Amino acid sequence: MLLAAWCPAEDRRGSVSLGELPQGWQDDRARDLALAGLRGHRVVLTMAYAACHRLCPATMDEFKRMQRVVDARGEIVDFVIVGYDPRNDSPSVWHQYRLSRGLNRENWHFLSGSQTATEQLAHQLGFPFWTYDEHVMHESRAVIFDANGVQRAVLGSQNSRWFDAL
Amino acid sequence: MFNKLLISARAIALGVALSIASLPAAADSVSDAKLEEMQKKLDQSMKMIEALGARVKELEGHASNGPAAAGAAPAPNPQRLEAVEQKVAQIETANATRQSDDSGLPIHGFADVNVGNHNLYFPYAKGTNVGSLDFYLAPKLGDRVVSLAELIFETGPDGHVGTDLERFQIGYQFNDQATVWVGRFHTPYGYVNTALHHGVWLADALRRPKFVNFEDKGGVMPAHTTGVWVTGAQREGDGKFLYDFYVGNGQQIQGGTLDMQTGGNLHGAAIAGTRLSYQFIGGAVDGLLVGVNGFTDKVNDDNATNPALIRLNMVGAYAVYDTDTWEHIIEAYSFHDKSLNGSPGTHRSEAWFAQFGYRASWGVPYIRYERAMLDQSDPYFSEQTFGASYYRSALGVRFDINAKSSIKFEVAHTRNTDDRPATDYRPSDAEIGLPQQFNEILAQYAVRF
Repeated sequence: MLLAAWCPAEDRRGSVSLGELPQGWQDDRARDLALAGLRGHRVVLTMAYAACHRLCPATMDEFKRMQRVVDARGEIVDFVIVGYDPRNDSPSVWHQYRLSRGLNRENWHFLSGSQTATEQLAHQLGFPFWTYDEHVMHESRAVIFDANGVQRAVLGSQNSRWFDAL
Repeated sequence: MFNKLLISARAIALGVALSIASLPAAADSVSDAKLEEMQKKLDQSMKMIEALGARVKELEGHASNGPAAAGAAPAPNPQRLEAVEQKVAQIETANATRQSDDSGLPIHGFADVNVGNHNLYFPYAKGTNVGSLDFYLAPKLGDRVVSLAELIFETGPDGHVGTDLERFQIGYQFNDQATVWVGRFHTPYGYVNTALHHGVWLADALRRPKFVNFEDKGGVMPAHTTGVWVTGAQREGDGKFLYDFYVGNGQQIQGGTLDMQTGGNLHGAAIAGTRLSYQFIGGAVDGLLVGVNGFTDKVNDDNATNPALIRLNMVGAYAVYDTDTWEHIIEAYSFHDKSLNGSPGTHRSEAWFAQFGYRASWGVPYIRYERAMLDQSDPYFSEQTFGASYYRSALGVRFDINAKSSIKFEVAHTRNTDDRPATDYRPSDAEIGLPQQFNEILAQYAVRF
C-alpha cells in the first residue's frame, strides 16, 4: 500500500513484470542476463547512458543511497541499469563506467541490448526518451519490482528521496 | 468451416458442369480436339473435387471427436505455459510499439527566452528577447537510412522572427565506423559546433563563444555546410578514434553575413575539410577528448561581377574534458587566407576560447575567456558585420529546474579592439549601433520538449 502511493495512476496502468520484459541482455562483462532470472529479491531498474553528465549521475547517486539503506537492513536488492544508447553503450563502455565511478558491487547490473529490445523495454516501463545527435533526452526515473518480479513502484523527479520507497 | 469448404467445392463443380453444358452453343466453332481436351480437364476437376470432399469428411470426423482427443492429451507444463505467455506478451508489446512508431512522427525540440541589458547576440538591442523555437525531427527510415531536420523560428539581427532549416541531412549508416550524410549539416570543426547544436538548453553556458556562434548570430566561421559528410568512430585501445571528412558548397558573404549556399553555389566554389579526434574512455583521463581540424574554403561575396573573394584556410585544435564533475573546453583556430579579388597578400588571424565549468549538485558555474584577433585587411573578416577583433570575459551559472527546463545567468565584459569604418559592403560599427565595449547582465530560460 505504501509502495503503491509512490506510483502515479498513469504509471500503474502499464504495470508489467520482469518476465514480460525483453530478456536478451548482456552485462558489462558481456555475460548474457535475462531479467526474469533476477527473481528472488527486489529489483530496482533504471535506464541511463554512459555519456550523460546531467541526470544519470544523479540517478547513480540515488542508487548508491538506496544501496546503503538496504545494506543497513541486510537485504539483497538487484540494481539494474539498462543503456538507452546501445550503439555507444557497449558492455566494455559500461565496464569502464563502473570502474571509473567505483560502482563495483556484484548486484549492480549494467546492461546492453539491441536497439529493438531497448526501445521495447523503455516503452513497456514508461521511460520516454529521444535522441538529439549523440545526446539522449530522457528523464530521471526508476521502477521497483518485488521479489516475484512484479512491478511495485515507480520513482521519478517528483520523489525527493528514492530510498524511502524501499 | 468444413461444411463451407465442401459447399464451395460443390459450387465449383456445378460451375464447371454448367460451362460444359453451354458448349453446344459454340460447338460449330470448336474443334473436336479442343472439346476432348476440355473433357479431360473436367474429369481431372471432378476427381479433385471427390478427393477434397473425402478430406473434408475426414476432418469433420476429427472435429466431432475433438473434446475426447483433448481430454486424452497430457497436462500442459506450467513453466512452458508461463514462457509462452511471456512470449505472447512481448509480441503484443512489440506490435504495440510498432503501431505507435507508425502512427506519426514525434516532435521534439527546444525553446528559450532571454532578458538582459543587451541582446545576447546583437548588443545594439536591449530588454527581453525571444530566442528560438527549435523543432527537431528525426524520422526513422529503416535500420540504416538515417535522417534529421532542425527547423527553427528565431529572432534575427533585424529583430524580426524568421524561419530557418538549420539542419537537414539524409544519410546511410554502413556500420558504426562509417555514416555518409548529404544535406546541410554543422561543419565538423572543434567541439562546440557539432556537440552543442541549436537547442541552447543542452549547453551548460548561456550562449556559444561569439566567434563560433552561428552565422546569423554574430559568428564569423562557416558553422553550416551544404554538402557531403563522412563520419565514424573506431575503438582503439582505451578509447575511440573519431574522424570526419566533408566537402560542400563554398560559403558566400551576403549583406555582411556568411551564407552556406543551401540552394547550390553559382560559382563552383567549394569547402573541404577534416577533423580527427581521440576520445579517452576509462583510466585517469576518462572523459578527455582531443582533436585537430582544418578546412579550405573558397569564399565569394555578393559582388556579381567579381565574386571570388578569398581562399580561407583554417587549421585548429581543441581539447575537452567532459565528466560528471567538470566541463572544460578549449578551442583554437588559425587562419591563413589568400585574397582572390586582386587585392594583395595573405592574411593571418587567430581566435581561441577557454571555458571551465564545474557540475555541482546545485548548478553549473562556469567561466570563459575568448579572444579573436582578426586581420581587418582580410576581406573575409572586414566584410562581415560582426567580423571585428574582440575579447570577452564571462562568468555564468546554470540551474536546472527539472529535467526539461533550466535558468542560466551570465555577466560578461566585451571589448571590440578594431576601429571599423564603413565599407562598400557594410556600415560602420557605430552606424549599426555596436558599442566599442560593453558589460552585459543576461538571463535565459531554456526548455526542451
